[in-house]
Amino acid sequence: MAILNVNPTRMALLGLKKKIKGAKRGHKLLKDKQDGLMQKFMEIIREAKRIREDVEEKLGGAFKNFIRAGSLMSEEFVEGALLYSTAKTELSVKTKNVMSVRIPQFTLKTEGDVITYGYLQTSGELDMSLQSFQDVFPLLIELAEIEKSAEALADELEKTRRRVNALEYRMIPDLEDTIKFIQMKLGEMERGTIINTMVVKAKIEAQG
Amino acid sequence: MHQYKMAIIGPREAILGFKALGLEPVYVTDSKVAVEQLYSLKKDKVEVEGEMKNKYAIVFIMEEFAKDITPEDYKKLSADPLPAIIPLPSHLGTTGYGLQKLKAIVEKAVGMDILS
Repeated sequence: MAILNVNPTRMALLGLKKKIKGAKRGHKLLKDKQDGLMQKFMEIIREAKRIREDVEEKLGGAFKNFIRAGSLMSEEFVEGALLYSTAKTELSVKTKNVMSVRIPQFTLKTEGDVITYGYLQTSGELDMSLQSFQDVFPLLIELAEIEKSAEALADELEKTRRRVNALEYRMIPDLEDTIKFIQMKLGEMERGTIINTMVVKAKIEAQG
Repeated sequence: MHQYKMAIIGPREAILGFKALGLEPVYVTDSKVAVEQLYSLKKDKVEVEGEMKNKYAIVFIMEEFAKDITPEDYKKLSADPLPAIIPLPSHLGTTGYGLQKLKAIVEKAVGMDILS
């Protein structure tokens, strides 16, 4: 392991000891955060997969009906029929904080009717397809919420994992090695001084 | 409380139905324009109580256009909490892009694919 570029002095040793304490504490906290995120992520991701599969199936059916309606009626009629839709959707967003990741929560409010046209000039398929669109809609909102959450969590998880690894495999071992190196160097210097004094003392005694 | 809007990007014949539900349709025919539209929808802000907020909270996009978004573009587009960009299967049927995206998310988070 690499030894950091510091002077082998008592001052540096004290500084490094303080630093390693902080690093270990940070590592523990981040590890806890990673565990918490992972737990939440696992909860969400299976749900996300289930909803996505559900949506794909239902939406496929809705589209099929709609395309069929479009083929039975001329486009102007379809568009004219939809022009008067009184449906209004309002979406309010709250953000929830999970382990410092902001995940959105959508609440949908719908008002009015989708089908506000006369039945005479429109085909039954149009009614059916609009109904099925309306049915799938809440599911779509749910999907949006959960997928965005999963994405945000995954992002944060990756970042946290990098940080944990950097601390665990790089910073802490480096600091430990450097501390050991300084301690040995200091010990060596101490022994050197003792030997020096002993040699000097012996020389003085030999003269006297 | 501030009310957000939703938008959907796709070919005209497919997303007309969503317009009736109250979503804002953005008609596009090729994916290059779709990406440009995504950027402009993301930038679209409204001022609420002196604060700038996104106009759109959710942007749905048809899979056939979503799959052509480059990873760099996608990273930039999805960096903020809002809007959520969600690919939807189109009338042509699902291409599996949505599930693929989920898989990529899992791999990013866990390090391996545990869904299948």
